[in-house]
Amino acid sequence: MKITRSAVAAVAVVGALALAGCSDPGASDAGNGQSTSDWPAQDTKLDGTTLTIWAAQNSNKTADSVIQGFEKLTGATVKVVTIPDPYEQGVQTKVATGDKPDLAFWQPTASELTALNATTNLQTLDGAPWLDNYTGNLKDITGLLDGKRYAALVTTPAVIGVYYNKEVFAKNGITSTPKSWDDLIALAKQLKTKGVTPFYEMGADKWATQWWVQAQLADAAKDGLWDKVNKNEEKFTDPTIQGAITTYKDLIDDGLFNTDIKTATFADQGDALLGGKAAMAMQVNSFFNELQASASTAELDKKIGFFPISPSGNVGTFIPDQSNALVAFKTGDSKREAAARQFLSYWLGDGYQDFVTAQSTVSLLKGVDTPSSVPQALKDVAASIGTSVGSMQALAVANPDLYLNLADMIQGTKTPVQVAKTTQDQFAQLAKAQGVAGF
Amino acid sequence: MRYVQPVVAIALVVLLLGVPFWLVVVTAGKSQSEALNPNLSTPSHWHLWDNFSTVFQEGHMTPAFFGSLLIMIPAVAGVLVLGAMASWVLARRKSRTIAFVYALAISGLVLPPAVVTIVLLLRQLGLAGTALGMIGVYMGMYMSTVIFFVTGFVRTIPLELEEAARVDGASPPRVFFRIILPLLGPTISTATILICLYIWNDVFYALFVIGGRIDTLPLNLYQVASAGLYLNNWHLIFAYIILMSLPLLVTFGLLQRRIISGVTSGAVK
Amino acid sequence: MTTTQLTRAEAAPPRTVARAGRTVRHRQDHPAWFLVPALAVLLVFFFVPTIYNFVYAFTNWSSFHAAISFVGIDNFKDLFTNGSLLKDLRITLVYAVLVAIFQNLFGLVLALVLERDTMINRFARVAFFVPVVMSALAVGYIFQALLKPQGGLNEILGFFLRHDVEVAWLGSTTWTIVVVALIHAWKWMGLSMLIYLAGLKTISEDVLEASRLDGAGWWTTFREIRFPLLAPAITFNVATALLGSMNGFDIVQATTGGGPGGTTELLNIFIFRTFGQGLFAQATTMSLALFAMVAILAFPVIRILRKREAVL
Repeated sequence: MKITRSAVAAVAVVGALALAGCSDPGASDAGNGQSTSDWPAQDTKLDGTTLTIWAAQNSNKTADSVIQGFEKLTGATVKVVTIPDPYEQGVQTKVATGDKPDLAFWQPTASELTALNATTNLQTLDGAPWLDNYTGNLKDITGLLDGKRYAALVTTPAVIGVYYNKEVFAKNGITSTPKSWDDLIALAKQLKTKGVTPFYEMGADKWATQWWVQAQLADAAKDGLWDKVNKNEEKFTDPTIQGAITTYKDLIDDGLFNTDIKTATFADQGDALLGGKAAMAMQVNSFFNELQASASTAELDKKIGFFPISPSGNVGTFIPDQSNALVAFKTGDSKREAAARQFLSYWLGDGYQDFVTAQSTVSLLKGVDTPSSVPQALKDVAASIGTSVGSMQALAVANPDLYLNLADMIQGTKTPVQVAKTTQDQFAQLAKAQGVAGF
Repeated sequence: MRYVQPVVAIALVVLLLGVPFWLVVVTAGKSQSEALNPNLSTPSHWHLWDNFSTVFQEGHMTPAFFGSLLIMIPAVAGVLVLGAMASWVLARRKSRTIAFVYALAISGLVLPPAVVTIVLLLRQLGLAGTALGMIGVYMGMYMSTVIFFVTGFVRTIPLELEEAARVDGASPPRVFFRIILPLLGPTISTATILICLYIWNDVFYALFVIGGRIDTLPLNLYQVASAGLYLNNWHLIFAYIILMSLPLLVTFGLLQRRIISGVTSGAVK
Repeated sequence: MTTTQLTRAEAAPPRTVARAGRTVRHRQDHPAWFLVPALAVLLVFFFVPTIYNFVYAFTNWSSFHAAISFVGIDNFKDLFTNGSLLKDLRITLVYAVLVAIFQNLFGLVLALVLERDTMINRFARVAFFVPVVMSALAVGYIFQALLKPQGGLNEILGFFLRHDVEVAWLGSTTWTIVVVALIHAWKWMGLSMLIYLAGLKTISEDVLEASRLDGAGWWTTFREIRFPLLAPAITFNVATALLGSMNGFDIVQATTGGGPGGTTELLNIFIFRTFGQGLFAQATTMSLALFAMVAILAFPVIRILRKREAVL
């Protein structure tokens, strides 16, 4: 039998056309009408139900104590699946292929919830029984998108601030922590004259470079900087943000950072601060968790302190990250969806005390005390949330790769002006893809 | 000169291979704190067997091993047989259509597969998350490789052999399976090894097609890859890697003579 | 490997009985339906998803909204005004060329050194195949550890040079791309070696005997006789090295993640990152661009090598 060329061609064309006119194939039909969130009692029996939780490499053990308690209480089976780093990319790609878990760790900021297409894929958590148990302003600062709640905060949101080695400070006659940005820089210069490395940055691992820029924007953020950026009324290339980027570069050029900034890693940064090789590091909670892995609470209380910093004072910038919160997916299976909500209720209910003890972390709920094993610095971080302002991740509609561009700047392949321009272009591209007005 | 060559050979092995492998073995034998910054020093106490057993359990290596096998064997067998069948026809028949089909068939060498659309398609076919779907994906990915290899080789098999069988009344399938396929041995060995090691080590496609549902060795590495926030437990990672590579290495070691003679006797002509 | 020979003259219209002899027999003896299973698999699991993927390049597919609509060539326009694409294409090209050169050079040298079938050589051949068998992820981890400023390589160099060596092999914005290409070649040279070994074995003994009788030394024999006759092996190795490095990215991703300063950012790394940001349509546009580059560059090179084979 002969194969006709036209037959082959026809099949190809028909195939392509037939597939061309579809709407997003990944979006499941379960996107409509979630039953008004009824919140099952925490101990409802769930024998035979299996829940899947997606976690990143650094959060795949976080839920262990909760899972143990929940499985015993309800008879359900809970499985944790580790999505390899880069976590967010892996999750978004899997969701794009139509694969959904019941729960997943996810950054509770508006931009990241949008990236997951929250309105289509996630259950709303409004009306949850544990919402009013949050201390302070935690209920209102994160987890929300367009007024609806999609993420449940389980650990204290990370805050950008300065971790310092108390012994280095004491040895160099510094008795009080800086009260403003100018104070901080003056202090750093003072330390430098005494031969101490003032700041330590992890240029090779990159992700922390953005804290330096964001901390400088705290005042502007309070004044609505990100609202303007979101409307395209202000750009990264305008003086406020550009100035912060250039200042960072100038500080590096002035020699206020470690000489091996280009090759220093996250592990190096931890070693340096703990060992007193550097005085300060601008970082977030996960840095402190790294220190906790190699030093006891007693040692940390003696050596490491924390203070938030902003241009005019000690205002921290909060930046909840992936390990701080969970989201529940609309899977189309109402039984599992209810079970997922029940799991969250348990986590932020009866299971919370065991959780904070097992994780040695600050408690977010009224009525559950923070264990005494939690170092003072972490408590200080949690205490600063009340007065903190939102970071770019928390307040902007999109999340450009600012840290990557800053890392390039450190390596010398981008100038501060190029960093701002590239970041603005990325931001505009993402905002446009989202359909934000003004782009 | 006769003594120089072996010395050179051994020196090359030690320098180019010895150092990296030493690092792997030594790190796999350390405790976590010692392994935080992997280096060439020997461990203070050898924890090699402890680490092996830890990763074996935590990484669920037994189901993962069988998962990998379950997917690899049918995929490799399938792609070899189907690919060889197609190559036979593509090599023997000549026409513009055939040439066009051949070009299409090997285009897979150049185009990387699109993972998201494949999974979407599998979902529509009801095969997403199934071993069958994964097998299909791998077959699609490597079909072009097989066709590329085998087509050239088929031409070296004399047509007379086929003629002789046909004269005896053999039908085409019979001719193919009785005469041609056995003679394709060498090139099939090469293709087998190549495709086996691609599939055995694949993380990327496996993650999106069957991740979370079926265990395979490369995927389960991530269960053990991290101890805490941003810390890597290198001792477990390298221990896992050693165990994961063993099956293929053992196979290659046992079959290497056949493979090399296979490749030698005519995969490259 | 021999090439497919196109003989236009033999493409006969179906109903011509005059040419019945060979053509009809081929059709019966080598039935087309043998092609069907393989083509079906290719169609379903390869062509359809790939075409689908390329179609999406003309839409606004993203993770932010469920509806998809056509946007014409907007994505392409945006892409080419964005400097990153050209920079990454250039880096990918440099990487591919370096890999092709290194992998083949090393493979050939190894094949020549380990040519004879002695015990030691057989053992060495298996040893060099071990990196081929290891996963790219493993290779990435190993070399990350070895090439750190306080890593194994510097330890060894420091030992021989008698002072501390702290070179950041993976931290140079100019040279790290060469280092990564070397790592890629390290992993795959065992395979090139295997192919070259096979190629060397196919060179007929008579020819070599003749040249030895003529008094030719090792180098002359190699240059005039063996190297030209290795043409098919060279074609195969160069082709697979080029294609493999242009389309792959796991080794680079595992060692440098595209750094430092984006100087080892292969296009595939950028594509994955863009996809990860939710900009699906833009990512597929870039895959199209990459495919175009591969086609434009790889095919002529392979064609030239094939012609050379035929001539030699």
